[in-house]
Amino acid sequence: MRARTLVSLVVVGALLAVAVAAEVELGKIPREDPLGRELLYLPSPEMLKIMSLGNPGLAADILYLWSIQYYSGFKPDERFLYLETIYNLITDLDPLYFDVYRIGALIMGIQTGGDQAQLKKSVRRLFDKGLENLPESWQLAEAAAWDLFMRFQDQEAALHYAEIAAARPDASGRIKRMVGVWRDKGRVWTIDDSIEYWKRAADDAEDEYDRTMCASHLYDALVARDRNTLEAVLATYSERHGSCAESWGELIEAGLIREVPLDLVGKPYGIESSDCTIVAFKKIRDL
Amino acid sequence: MRAIRAIAVNTFREAIRDRILYLFIGFAIVMVISTKLFGMLTVGDEAKIVKDIGLAAMQFFSMLIAVMMSMLLISREVDNRTVFNILAKPVRRWQFVLGKYLGLVAIVAANLLLITLVLVVMVLIYTGQFDPMLVFAAAMTMLEMSVLAAFATLFAVLTRPILGSLMTLAMFVVGHMSADLWMLTRQLPGTFTRAVIATVYYLVPNLERFNFRTEVVHDLPIPPAAVGWAVVYASACVGVLLFLAALRFQTKDLK
Repeated sequence: MRARTLVSLVVVGALLAVAVAAEVELGKIPREDPLGRELLYLPSPEMLKIMSLGNPGLAADILYLWSIQYYSGFKPDERFLYLETIYNLITDLDPLYFDVYRIGALIMGIQTGGDQAQLKKSVRRLFDKGLENLPESWQLAEAAAWDLFMRFQDQEAALHYAEIAAARPDASGRIKRMVGVWRDKGRVWTIDDSIEYWKRAADDAEDEYDRTMCASHLYDALVARDRNTLEAVLATYSERHGSCAESWGELIEAGLIREVPLDLVGKPYGIESSDCTIVAFKKIRDL
Repeated sequence: MRAIRAIAVNTFREAIRDRILYLFIGFAIVMVISTKLFGMLTVGDEAKIVKDIGLAAMQFFSMLIAVMMSMLLISREVDNRTVFNILAKPVRRWQFVLGKYLGLVAIVAANLLLITLVLVVMVLIYTGQFDPMLVFAAAMTMLEMSVLAAFATLFAVLTRPILGSLMTLAMFVVGHMSADLWMLTRQLPGTFTRAVIATVYYLVPNLERFNFRTEVVHDLPIPPAAVGWAVVYASACVGVLLFLAALRFQTKDLK
């Protein structure tokens, strides 16, 4: 009995060893593995929904996990095959899956090869779909804004998404400031619009830090407006007298202004006579 | 009433002695716990994946238990001839069917309770918060399983165990696809064809009516009317199926 058991164990062990050795050898043999082969048999979202038997969220999770593993094996200069199709499929299965829009766009953004204009369109389509399906998410709109700004250097598109984020309920004060700053930098509005915007933002600030930051931007906008006016006055004085005014008193005496111009916190502007410009003495703690 | 309760309790006791039940429950719990591994593979919200897998495991294993256990319930009694001992007592045949059904529902409920407990603890570990909506999802899954168990009871009375299992499984699959059947009626030309498909749609219970998993996972509002009508719908379906099962068992030749 013992001998038979021993023989059986030896036979099983030997067969197991052969199986393991065969598996190792098979693994060494190079096989034709065309790129994207695994993607060819992806079913449609409708089919997957049916196959999931009431668990489309789970099907979306599985595909999402698989996509992360699959695409992390690529190199950035490769063209990611069917990337948009995959993320469309996942978001068709679970349209409320925030991470898929965010990470999908991020993976698309990593790609440096291929037609970058088309890639940007794909990223925007994915974000647009997400923003439509998640109408209350300002976070996704903010992510879209930053992706378009940082990765694609498209300030116009970035501003578009930042404005969407700012308009959404419960949007952080940070987003509203971001919109104002980008509008200021892009010069897409007048100084008066900017002043009006920052005044409102400071009034609606959600906390002291937010209020101070908005006041700081308001200060800058007011300085920009005053600079236009006051530097024109300084130029007129220089034309008449052959040199720049040293103080506001000289301008008052000349009848060009009625009183010393003050900044947002009530401090007088200075005059830099070497290049005949005004100087603002902004201190954040005073705002 | 006492007879029904006695049969139900006996059915429950008999089932919990079955090893296969523990196998399913064990698998379900391992699957729920292993969601941690899946969570580690993701980028973003791990809790969503834990909930998705947990709720799907809850549904899948409850379905398996309902399908497998139901087949053993009546056929075993008939094959072992113990059914004659029961029916020799003042127990009506419909009471026997109802008792068996309630016993089966109790087994599925016990399994669901266990999986829900594990899932709630897992989510608590992940998020640090108790999510009462998981309990709600479990309750709605129980509603779905009560309809499936009624199907299983009907098929157990109508046919042989394996065929009955397959038919119950088919009802589970079709029940989740019946919404697509309804979509088909809109796309097909011809009033007659549409009427036939619509009839099939209404005859096969739409199990998706008990599916609130998406709402639970994404914290979406759930209309109370949808829950109320789902309870009414399940009760009516169970009523019809058990009535048919009792009717068939009444005239069934048990020899």
